[in-house]
Amino acid sequence: MGRKVNVIGVGMVKFAKPGASEEYDVMAHKAIVSAIQDAGITYDEVEQAFAGYVYGDSTCGQKAVYSVGLTGIPVVNVNNNCSTGSTALFLARQAIEAGAECVLAVGFEKMEKGALGNKFSDRVNPLEKHVEVMNRVQGFNQAPPAAQMFGGAGREYRWKYGTRRETFAKISEKARKHASKNPYALFTQPLSVEEILASDEVFDPLTRFQCCPPTCGAAAAILCSDEFARRHNISRPVYIAAQAMTTDSPSSFEDSMIKMVGYDMAKRCAQVVYEKSGVGPEDVDVIELHDCFTTNELLTYEALQLCKEGEAEKFIWDGDNTYGGRFVTNPSGGLLSKGHPLGATGLAQCTELVWQLRGQAEQRQVEDATIALQHNLGLGGACVVTMYRRD
Amino acid sequence: MSEQLRFDGRVAIVTGAGNGLGRSHALLLASRGAKVVVNDLGGSHTGSGRSSEAADRVVAEIKAAGGKAVANYDSVEDGAKIVQTALDTWKRVDIVINNAGILRDTSFRKMTPEDWELIYRVHVNGAFRVTHAAWPYMQEAGYGRILFTASAAGIYGNFGQANYSMAKLGLVGFANTLAIEGAKKNIRVNTIAPIAGSRMTETVLPKELVDALKPEYVSPLVAWLVHESCEETGGLFEVGGGFMAKLRWERTKGRTWRLGAPITPEKVRADFAQITDFANATHPSDINAALEPVMENVNAPPSKGGNEFIDVDAALGWQMPEITSTHDERDMALYALGVGAAKDPLDARELPLVYELHGDGFKALPTYAVNPVIAGVLKLSAEGRNAPGLNYGLDRILHGEQYTEVFRPFPAKATLKHKGRIKDIFDKGKHALVISAIDTFDAETGERIAYNEITTFVRGAGGWGGDRGPNTDVPVPDRAPDVVVTEKTSDNQALLYRLSGDWNPLHADPEFAQAFGFPRPILHGLCTFGFVGRQAIRAFAPNADPRYFKCIRVRFADSVFPGETLQTEMWKESDTRVLIRTKVLEREKVVINNAFVEFYKEIPRGETKRAPAPAPARAATTAPSAPAGPSSAAIFQVIGAYVAKHPELVKSIHNVYHFKLKNPASEWTLDLKNGAGSVTAGAPAKADCVLELEDSDWVAIATGKADANKLYFGKKLKISGNVMASQKLDFLRKIDPAEAAALVGTAGATPPGTGTPASSTPAEPAREPQAPAIFRALQERLAANPKLAAEVNAVVLFKVTAPDGVWTVDLKEAPGVKSGAVGTPTTTFTISDEDLLTLVKDPQSARWLYQHGQLRVDGDISVAHRLGFLKQLV
Repeated sequence: MGRKVNVIGVGMVKFAKPGASEEYDVMAHKAIVSAIQDAGITYDEVEQAFAGYVYGDSTCGQKAVYSVGLTGIPVVNVNNNCSTGSTALFLARQAIEAGAECVLAVGFEKMEKGALGNKFSDRVNPLEKHVEVMNRVQGFNQAPPAAQMFGGAGREYRWKYGTRRETFAKISEKARKHASKNPYALFTQPLSVEEILASDEVFDPLTRFQCCPPTCGAAAAILCSDEFARRHNISRPVYIAAQAMTTDSPSSFEDSMIKMVGYDMAKRCAQVVYEKSGVGPEDVDVIELHDCFTTNELLTYEALQLCKEGEAEKFIWDGDNTYGGRFVTNPSGGLLSKGHPLGATGLAQCTELVWQLRGQAEQRQVEDATIALQHNLGLGGACVVTMYRRD
Repeated sequence: MSEQLRFDGRVAIVTGAGNGLGRSHALLLASRGAKVVVNDLGGSHTGSGRSSEAADRVVAEIKAAGGKAVANYDSVEDGAKIVQTALDTWKRVDIVINNAGILRDTSFRKMTPEDWELIYRVHVNGAFRVTHAAWPYMQEAGYGRILFTASAAGIYGNFGQANYSMAKLGLVGFANTLAIEGAKKNIRVNTIAPIAGSRMTETVLPKELVDALKPEYVSPLVAWLVHESCEETGGLFEVGGGFMAKLRWERTKGRTWRLGAPITPEKVRADFAQITDFANATHPSDINAALEPVMENVNAPPSKGGNEFIDVDAALGWQMPEITSTHDERDMALYALGVGAAKDPLDARELPLVYELHGDGFKALPTYAVNPVIAGVLKLSAEGRNAPGLNYGLDRILHGEQYTEVFRPFPAKATLKHKGRIKDIFDKGKHALVISAIDTFDAETGERIAYNEITTFVRGAGGWGGDRGPNTDVPVPDRAPDVVVTEKTSDNQALLYRLSGDWNPLHADPEFAQAFGFPRPILHGLCTFGFVGRQAIRAFAPNADPRYFKCIRVRFADSVFPGETLQTEMWKESDTRVLIRTKVLEREKVVINNAFVEFYKEIPRGETKRAPAPAPARAATTAPSAPAGPSSAAIFQVIGAYVAKHPELVKSIHNVYHFKLKNPASEWTLDLKNGAGSVTAGAPAKADCVLELEDSDWVAIATGKADANKLYFGKKLKISGNVMASQKLDFLRKIDPAEAAALVGTAGATPPGTGTPASSTPAEPAREPQAPAIFRALQERLAANPKLAAEVNAVVLFKVTAPDGVWTVDLKEAPGVKSGAVGTPTTTFTISDEDLLTLVKDPQSARWLYQHGQLRVDGDISVAHRLGFLKQLV
């Protein structure tokens, strides 16, 4: 492992629903400025920028960064589906490890209403191999493709372990409860398990309130070296204890929906992070994980080894995923309630965890949190797991 | 001969075994190896006295023959002692034959309470005591055979035996429940109603008959029923004099009243013949089967109500017997004259309606389409073949509204078939509307020719609080009409019109008309209707050509007398639609309102009749004529029109689809990428997504009769290129039927994806639902093998769809199948009738069905792993 990488500034805008947001460059500007102010530096100290977004023409990253300053630094546009934000973070960390002193990672997204779909239907679908698996295992339906994939994984899990429908809904109930304390979240209204189950069915076992909404938003983080932090008199900064990125292995394309949506990919990624950091799942205090659908949050508990395989249901009903339990997962409300602007999500997770480790999470503060874990996953696919610490 | 049925090692108790039947049973079982407790109190046949003599004699007889037996002299009311004798002697009890009995015959008036109670005590209480004492040993041993002795007197009644009959039939009910309770532990319980000459029957049968009816004729059945290889249980048998037969319950089909409307004694009286009619009887064999009609009715949609005139539940959906009619140019010409055509014989526009040799060809007036229908309906009515539940006289009814539509130029000569049904019944408060819908087909080709809706206004028959129905008002615009036609009807117009088939004397017989309160015969409403249709065609159809005519709707507001002048005002609402109102000038009365006529933009082609095969070599491979319905070309036409109107599809879909259809082969391009989008025949230069399928399957998908996903997985639909792009074809479902019809201007074209409107296509022959048979078979399987349940240990609720039905399968406490939702299920399966059959054929398919969303599982899903009990049920 190279140099220690600190996260000295974070910022984000309140997430909004499609049609009700500002332009992407405006949202990104606000997030970057917040992060810079949070770090207590000036923009001209930033040496490189990694800008993540999924939907937009090329060089939206420059448009967003230029709004803060035309300093002529390298700007790299990053696109890695739902894990775009944390991929920008991954590159920023690598840049610091490679010798840079201060780097910006920013993610933003201006989404359309409705479920995700292909923008470029005149060429080969990048998810073709994944779709083929689904096709073999459960066929096509009229539901949104992502819901079919993650919902299908939920079906497979239910079949294997006999999980009740309510268990998935319970995750969403928790997400809403957490989000009700988060002023940056899109959905702050709590919902009961009954209401969640009673919402329109999207793809059994997923109902509408178990699917993350299309969202617009932006978030940013400033990363720096120890020396840079010292120069700016930043004491006890949050730092990245370990980080890994994985992509699909052959197991993703066996006839399993669970594996196709990235279970093994996430499991390998987490394993690398635990090994690199020398910290096991049992030591983690707070987690932001990729709950694009309730089914994926459940699967991720097991992939991150928060519980044993097949025991997620018990884990949930024992309350081990919320305040008072063994872990607090998605204190921000997660993708389900805070929202999921694809490019911004990975950096919004980072923002939440930095606040948590600094004790700045206000009403949703996890007590005495010193170790935090981030899991961000995109189909296609890529998974980034990051462990943060504050000593 | 098969091997002898042996009872070696078995211990049997036979009560009342000192004489008659009991003795015969005991001797037979003992002769075949059973160890027998010979019980007899030694009293008289009326229950007085006691001695050990009778039992001892039979025991001695058995022992002399080399068998094993022990005597017991206790009363059956001390049943535990009898059982104890068996346990003390041989430490087990396998068989109990409840045979002991006495008589206290007397006519009911003279019967004392002692007569009644003694009979009860010996027969019912005695059988209870003995059986109850043996039961726990049998349960623990997991084996038992019990026999009860009933009597024909109990089943059918017999003079002077009220007490005995009560007791004997009581035993039948007793045995029925024991059969159920004992099923799991291999305890079989049966009942015989023997007839034999014995001390007991000496009092009721002549001496010669008593001698002929030997007990030995009864015992073989008893021996078989208590043998270990006999699985029969819960049976009731008549036996004696060489005759053996099994009885069962028979139940009439009965009469079911939908819940929600009052059920009165008068209704019961009215339908009592139906309640007691054994035609189509059933034979319920258990309480679930018995409750089936009740549960079905409880779970059925509630009554739509009605009153003494109209029973909506009974009438709605009734299918009329098929009507056939024939007509030719002569009938068409006569009809045209009847509705005032060619009053000016030099009028070139109307002459083709009545002159078959006209240079432009004879043209049929399409409003005729209602005539054979009305004539047929009246004929059915005259023959008493009316819809059930419509109990009003002709004096109450008026022809309220008429809608007639043709799907192609009406043929001048044809044989037609008409298939009708009661489509709707509406409660208009004081009055009621009954709407009959009739589809007309060419008898030869099956092509759908016309559709009629007859709205019958039933005076004073409303008011049950039912559905009021839609508003069918068609108000005329608030401006001067575009065309006004004034025509005087002839004084003999009705006499001329009636020759087209409406023979109601109201239109011809002055006295009859007066009896109905009219000063003189009135004109047929449908004659006025024909006038209006003809006037609209003449005024608005291109070249007054009736082949452009599509449909007409009118409401009959008042009567017309022959000779009166009709003034028809017409407003052109669009190129294809005219609004109409007709008045009688003399009386200034509106006689037709809320009326319109619609036209086709182009003359619809209809289906060409198949030419006789020109004897080609390959004639045999020619496909049979397509059933009436849209062609794939018509469907693409609709899609093309829709695409033209929705250019935004190009932005949202942005794909080029290539359809390759087979049988017959055709290729189509649906371009939703370039320009404003288009549908063209032939292959595209470059497609994003290629769909290959049978022409008939494409029509089925587009008309909502087949599911694209199923065809895809059934390998009947092949998709290549960008597979995900095929999903975007979902927009086809959004095409509104009305919009589609308007776009294409042909009613024959059906919008894709929406299914045909209910009124426009004859119902497909329905697939026979499988679920009822499957669950009946499951019930039988569970009854025969209750152990199956233990492997599942759950209560499973099956919600079956298409067609809907609900069954509760108890595989836990009391294994069995109940119709409807009963209790709290462990697991609920929601599955279509068709997929249920798949599941039964191969329970392993559960996972596939579940993962594909075709089996929905609520509650404990692990039950889905244990569906072996369903295997090969049908």
